[in-house]
Amino acid sequence: MKEGAKYKMERFLKDSVIHILLIMVSITCLFPLLWMVGSSLKTQQTIFSDMSLFPRNPMWGNFYSAWTKGGFNMYFINSLFYTITVVSGIVIISSLAAFAFSRLKFPGKNIFFYMFLAAMMIPLPGSFVPLYVLMTKLHLVNTRIGYILCMINVGLPLSIYLLKTFFDKMPVELEDAARMDGCSRLGIWWNVALPLARPAIAVVVIFNSLNVWNEYKLATLIFSTKSLMPLQRGLMIFQGTHITEYPLLMAGMTITALPIIVVYLLMQRHIVKGITASAIVG
Amino acid sequence: MSSSFIVFLSVFLVSCGQEAREKPLVKSIKVWHWMSDREDAFLELAKRYETEKGIKVDLELYAPSDAYTQKVRAAAQTNTLPDIFGVLGVKRDFASFVKSNYVYDLTEEMNRDNGAWKNKLFAKALAVNEFEQDNSFGVKPGIYGAPIDVTNIQMLYNKDLLEAVGVNKPPKTWKDLIEVTRKLRAKGMQGLVSGWGETWMIDCFASNYAFNIMGKDKILDTIRGKVSYADPDWVKVFDLFREMRDEGALASGIVTMVNKTAEQIFANNRAAFAFNGSWCVNVYKGMNPNLNYGAMLPPEVSDKYPMAIWGGAGSSFMVNKQSKDIQASVDFLKWLTDAPQQVFLSKETQGLPSNKYSLKDMPMALSQFANAMDNATHPNVWGVSESPIVIEAFDKGIQSIIIGEKTPEQLAREVQAVKEREMAKNQ
Repeated sequence: MKEGAKYKMERFLKDSVIHILLIMVSITCLFPLLWMVGSSLKTQQTIFSDMSLFPRNPMWGNFYSAWTKGGFNMYFINSLFYTITVVSGIVIISSLAAFAFSRLKFPGKNIFFYMFLAAMMIPLPGSFVPLYVLMTKLHLVNTRIGYILCMINVGLPLSIYLLKTFFDKMPVELEDAARMDGCSRLGIWWNVALPLARPAIAVVVIFNSLNVWNEYKLATLIFSTKSLMPLQRGLMIFQGTHITEYPLLMAGMTITALPIIVVYLLMQRHIVKGITASAIVG
Repeated sequence: MSSSFIVFLSVFLVSCGQEAREKPLVKSIKVWHWMSDREDAFLELAKRYETEKGIKVDLELYAPSDAYTQKVRAAAQTNTLPDIFGVLGVKRDFASFVKSNYVYDLTEEMNRDNGAWKNKLFAKALAVNEFEQDNSFGVKPGIYGAPIDVTNIQMLYNKDLLEAVGVNKPPKTWKDLIEVTRKLRAKGMQGLVSGWGETWMIDCFASNYAFNIMGKDKILDTIRGKVSYADPDWVKVFDLFREMRDEGALASGIVTMVNKTAEQIFANNRAAFAFNGSWCVNVYKGMNPNLNYGAMLPPEVSDKYPMAIWGGAGSSFMVNKQSKDIQASVDFLKWLTDAPQQVFLSKETQGLPSNKYSLKDMPMALSQFANAMDNATHPNVWGVSESPIVIEAFDKGIQSIIIGEKTPEQLAREVQAVKEREMAKNQ
């Protein structure tokens, strides 16, 4: 009886410490978001004097001003288009490539795979100038297709790595069974590998969506026409060399963060599964 | 699966096919800039130029400045620079663009009609875009850029806080400044605030006083290695920071403070003095339109040499030497730096115009900044430049003095040791 009470006490203390830690981590994650929303409701003057998280007189009009002044109508549609096309492209190409690296035998397989891995080590700004030179030579500067191809290229290495790791752990028996049912290699990829890889694909989708949605520097390099720019271009309007319109910037950031939060919430279940993927395959 | 894939592919290809290649109907020039806070004013001026001259000005904004710099560098490598652009960074970068034949020499245009264009611009602003005879960069002497605005860095004082301690006019001498900060301290108010976490601002402040204490020639001789940083005059410069620390004249946390925070503190009446650039007029207007303040030269320590402040061209435009219509680009820059356009830009952005004949109807603080342009200097126009490693040791050492880790004498010896090491490397 005494030991039972001691065990309960130990368990209670352990749980309390874990929960306190988790609450602290949650607060540190949520505070910047709350601060962003709170600041989006202040004025340019009160943002520097009113230190409260939510102002007494919220300026809801800031969201409308940010949307119109930032030209979000056009940029929002552009970003949506780039995110959908780039992420779709990455999922299709990386899953095909990862399946090939995992299941097929061909000369130079490992070299090609390591080359993809090596590409992960090069930070995007490091490849700006060569990319721009290449795009210019291919006459793809200031075109949507040029930007989309570059962004697919940026997202491929990590996605291939994630999916290959997943496919490596897929039981060979499943593939054999599908082949006996008359599936071609492409059929196995589509009917067996992809449905099983759903959690890993969810991770690929969320990582790349976030990357494309928030990308701006490459867009600045590739595009010179305003109407082709992504959403982040709208936010730049509020950041001057010396002056920043913080309330409008924060309102704009709240607007741009919302879609990605929704995508994350929708895929949350798969992402958790994807991260612990090895336990799920088969 | 296949039908949805075909639909997706069709939408993708149709959308991507809509390339943005505009066919110009009228004569046009392309300008790349990075000044997002001036975008609206530039667009308005472009509209006016098209109405007046029938030439379309395509303005393309790329911000922030590091993204702009990447874009300009990449475009230079593919020979796709626009007709007009800006080169950001140190003078060495500017020189490399000139030497690579990307920048048109404006000297002849500036000097035409007895220097009509050149004479209406602040000489200090032009100097930043100028390469002199036998410059260390190996660039053919000439003026390679047109300044569109100017800036300088001075001290600001809060009139209300000074009045609260019985001071009716800003301090003229260092002694007065220390006296005022004592009074402020006695009433629990902060003295000087500045973004000295950004070390270049410390460098700027120290440089101002070095000019005042020892004069330009001795500073340049120090950079050339002919005068030691352990010289008593340099110790005197470092000692000013020790004195400010001991007198409690500095705002708390100044050593790690970024300028944005410093601006916020001054704008909210939480410090009596600030050390900031002329752009602050616009910043303070946004933060606190009722702020009652003025600009002043840093109070003098000595009357031996004049006080110098950092200043010169704020932003400049260059004409692409490979442009198909160089004259159209030059004409636009001439028009942009004309008085009416400069007055408009100044009013819209609360900045100092590069045209010295357009200083009308300015806010008081801005005109005080404008009046000090004669005192402006900048390391980019000195003709010699200090090693970045020595500058780092100098600036960080001053931070150490402020937090009480080093004495002025100790810092002077340390900076000299770094200087000697750097000079030995280059021999």
